[in-house]
Amino acid sequence: MNEPTVKLKTLAEAAALIENGSRIHLGGMAVHNHPMAFVHELLRRGTRDLTVVSHVSASDVDMLIGAGCVRRLEFSYVGLEEFGTAPCFRRAVQGGELELSEYSEPVAFERFACSARGMPFFTTREMMGTDLPKVNPDIREVSDPFGSGVYHAVSAAEPQWVIIHAALGDKYGNVLFFPHRQLPEDLDLTASRATRNLIVTVEQIVPHERVRQLPYLNLIPRFRTTAIVEVPYGAHPFSCLHVYDQDREHLAHYAEAGRDPVTFRAYLERYVYGVKSHDEYLSLIGAAKLARLRQVGGAL
Amino acid sequence: MTGPKASVYEVMAAAIARELRDGELWFLGMSTGPQTILLLTRIPIVAMSLAQHTHAPNSWMLVAGWVMNPDVSKVPTRMESEFGTSLGEWPCEAYNNSLTMSYVAARHEIDVGFGSAAQVDKYGNCNTVAIGDYRRPKVRLIGPVNQPGHFSLFGREIIVMPHERRNFVDRVDFASGAGYLDGPGARERHGLHRGGPVMLLTDKAVFRFDERTKLVRLESVHPGMSLDEVVADTGFTHDYVPERVPVTPSPTARELTLMREVIDPSGAMLGRDGG
Repeated sequence: MNEPTVKLKTLAEAAALIENGSRIHLGGMAVHNHPMAFVHELLRRGTRDLTVVSHVSASDVDMLIGAGCVRRLEFSYVGLEEFGTAPCFRRAVQGGELELSEYSEPVAFERFACSARGMPFFTTREMMGTDLPKVNPDIREVSDPFGSGVYHAVSAAEPQWVIIHAALGDKYGNVLFFPHRQLPEDLDLTASRATRNLIVTVEQIVPHERVRQLPYLNLIPRFRTTAIVEVPYGAHPFSCLHVYDQDREHLAHYAEAGRDPVTFRAYLERYVYGVKSHDEYLSLIGAAKLARLRQVGGAL
Repeated sequence: MTGPKASVYEVMAAAIARELRDGELWFLGMSTGPQTILLLTRIPIVAMSLAQHTHAPNSWMLVAGWVMNPDVSKVPTRMESEFGTSLGEWPCEAYNNSLTMSYVAARHEIDVGFGSAAQVDKYGNCNTVAIGDYRRPKVRLIGPVNQPGHFSLFGREIIVMPHERRNFVDRVDFASGAGYLDGPGARERHGLHRGGPVMLLTDKAVFRFDERTKLVRLESVHPGMSLDEVVADTGFTHDYVPERVPVTPSPTARELTLMREVIDPSGAMLGRDGG
């Protein structure tokens, strides 16, 4: 058999695929599994005018907003869980600098499932009575042709690019998922099916033979993957579920630094613009810290 | 009856447990900020477990939708996040997203949910989106998250929030959770034929909603709190104080023993001294 196309790329090669003005989805949810090494690379490239279509975001999107890379945000939540609100998001919205299209969380999730089904819209009643339809012109009223009343129609997510972070994959773009998935991983799987332009960063590239030994865990088959990138601790300071926990100390630091544009700029200079590569970033975070976040056995 | 004095968090957990019935499906979602994690995550988890240990063995607890009927005494974290590598080690009866990713909420099968907000108004409408004008808010908040569904798809919503004067307003600046909107009949006019808030629980008092007027009214003040203190810290401007305001019942000796020795012996949930 001829060898399939090797889709292994560097972080810089993968980030270069995203043009200014693109409509992108960054995977992960809350403080878990966001493709942060990729976000840092976008920041270093200065990719701008992005429309970010998300659901439950954190500093992945907050940093891009703070650096002025985001024009429009379609979302349900931007926050840092125990560390409170997302500082740059808050500042930008209060300043009227960001175009918003806001939905309830299951609706924001369902937009990706809708794209995965190949449908342009779906209907829901769960936002009835709220002020969301009053401020979001993308939530439209439709009548049930079978006569059960009025519903809200919501469009499919339709991301041009989906970028997710996972634990393991091979050089051809197959991606393995643990059987005991948590919601952030299930949402990433759904998002991976909502586009044909998929970039996956993984903790570790494993030999293709490993995929063939565990074919039932291969939930993103290589034909769906555009590029795959190996970035250990690629979700830091967030968790990569079943591999390591979120870095609470660093998230607290980010929440504090982000509150002021000057200290936020200093944070970016130190952790993003001031390093040339993800490896340099990891050196800055420190081996001892990273080792302590590791949860060996979490996958067993 | 004499015995160890209950902390305010134990009083709150017992108050929630009394609100929960056997055979129900309960859902708990995410919280933002350390105080909200205590009030909206840890206290309701203890309350749900307490109800399961007492009167509700056929209930089903969905923590963040994926950990179901956990052994609370073995919680591996302090619920700083609703997911996590370490949290994945929590012993429980079921562990997957199959219920919440598809149907139980959409089919109106969830009986009780727990919510919080930066503002709640006299009709129980909740705001987690923005203080001030939506387009140029004075304070931008986290976003609606799952609050719309809690108030439209679930059977009963229990609102748990810190008792600060500014949190209780005449009208929310933005309704992300639909309470009784602008009064009797309003939910029905919006196609909401069930659900809505039934209880507003704070660290000082219990409020409920009048069946006829749908207005929030003070139900009880927690042990050790004076009515004057509670009123001074409550921003509602309508007449919400009835003639008689009893003290919120303390947990029974059995409930206290269950919480301290069986459900939360390490204090990971409610803290060793209640703090």
